[in-house]
Amino acid sequence: MIPVAFDYQSPSSIEEALALLTEAGDEGKIMAGGQSLIPVLKLRLAAPEMVIDLGKIDSLRGISEDGDALVIGAMTPHHEVAGNPLVAQHAALIAKATQTVADPQVRHRGTFGGALVHADPAGDLPAPALALDAGFVIVGPGGSRTVPASDFFVDLFTTAVGEDEILTQVRIPKKTGWGTDYQKFTRVKQQWSIVGVAAAIRVEDGKIAEARIGLTNMGSVPIRATTVEQALVGCALEEGAIAQATASAGDGTNPPSDINGDADYRRHLASVLTKRAVLAAGAA
Amino acid sequence: MELSHRFVVPAALDVAWAAFNDPEGIAPCFPGATLTSVDGDTFTGSVKIKLGPISMLYNGTGRFVERDEAAHRAVIEAKGKDKRGNGTAGATVVAQLTPDGTGTAVEVSTDLSITGKPAQFGRGVIQDVSDKLLGQFVECIAQKLGPDSAVEPVEEAGAALAPEPDSAVSTSVAAAAGAAADQSMPEHESAEASSAGRHTGPTAEPAELNLLSTVLPVLARRYALPVAVVIVVVVVVWIWVKR
Repeated sequence: MIPVAFDYQSPSSIEEALALLTEAGDEGKIMAGGQSLIPVLKLRLAAPEMVIDLGKIDSLRGISEDGDALVIGAMTPHHEVAGNPLVAQHAALIAKATQTVADPQVRHRGTFGGALVHADPAGDLPAPALALDAGFVIVGPGGSRTVPASDFFVDLFTTAVGEDEILTQVRIPKKTGWGTDYQKFTRVKQQWSIVGVAAAIRVEDGKIAEARIGLTNMGSVPIRATTVEQALVGCALEEGAIAQATASAGDGTNPPSDINGDADYRRHLASVLTKRAVLAAGAA
Repeated sequence: MELSHRFVVPAALDVAWAAFNDPEGIAPCFPGATLTSVDGDTFTGSVKIKLGPISMLYNGTGRFVERDEAAHRAVIEAKGKDKRGNGTAGATVVAQLTPDGTGTAVEVSTDLSITGKPAQFGRGVIQDVSDKLLGQFVECIAQKLGPDSAVEPVEEAGAALAPEPDSAVSTSVAAAAGAAADQSMPEHESAEASSAGRHTGPTAEPAELNLLSTVLPVLARRYALPVAVVIVVVVVVWIWVKR
């Protein structure tokens, strides 16, 4: 299908982009990589009068270190994130989850920040970002603010980024040396996650000293499995103990029921995948 | 596709019945809804809904095909058409009010049909979204019907934007829907919804898009309709998710 006609703007600075966004008001839409927005436009599920492409704002791209944080520019494409040595070293969970996103074409066009702002409940990046306590740097007419991941994901496709704001970068506290894994369960390749589990653990003397577990597609927003995180502390890296600690991963969640599986099936998947993710993270 | 919802409002049967038969009073409770006219049993309106990249404006008409005062049962038919001709949507909504303790139980069943390009969808997401939008709607209704009774404000993050606090009613709705979901969701939804509502003033702007037109008007009247609209939205979302 052909989208409804719109005005296309490609500002070269964040200030310019914010000005355009303010000017367009309700009729403006920010485009990052366009891998979700373009299909929506083509289906005519949205018809903004102005599309503001952030692709020419160089300052929004790139990966760097800032003290204890790894800083990923919102417009950094997935393939850069997935192959970046700093990410591999300090936030390997992000790299592993990113590698599961869609297909190579999408990973070259789609962006890290775009996927997070899009906040698809089945998207693979929100849960790892939540598990790692990422901070989201958002700029708007009123200046800049940093929103913790726990407040960033508001609802289906809805984040803390306001209508007149732009996500500029994501700050991820370094987890150097942690074991990590992302388990994405699908029936066919490149499907959206039926359920996904992000795990990061710190092992000391053969036992888990700290654990972070994020669940994908187990609700409208990513979920931290805090009970499991606590239960894992002190666990030896052996299947029996980990299976016991992760058995409750799906408890209290309200996942969707659809053609791919009902809610009970997803809750079961969550515990199975959490066990696998923790075991794989321990072996990593 | 058939959907059903049940909730309890903290008002006597007669009061609730009257409220549900007052489109002007009810319409503002549905996020993004604007009632443009009411003529006897027929009404027209629009609903604007924003959800992530999706932004829709539905225009349509609704009609009370049955309004049984004695049985407290109403049947509404609504239909709409996408402005750009991409499809149509129709809904038949049956609302049944019955006494429930000191309040009134409202049961709504909706039969929704959608044609046109976006006619492929599943039910999971639809139910999810419709439950949420309905939750907001019910909170708002509860406020109107029993501001001091069953409505107990809970922590309200988006107070500035969201006039409707969490209420006992919404809790029961959530429970009925089996929604164990986290508490913050409805609140944020409310904030989002009421901001959507502001965008939809009478003077309002240019439509953004529409897919299926709809049921909106309907929602104005009864909550049933809102549900239908929600459903439409959900459908759209679903389609989009499955793209």
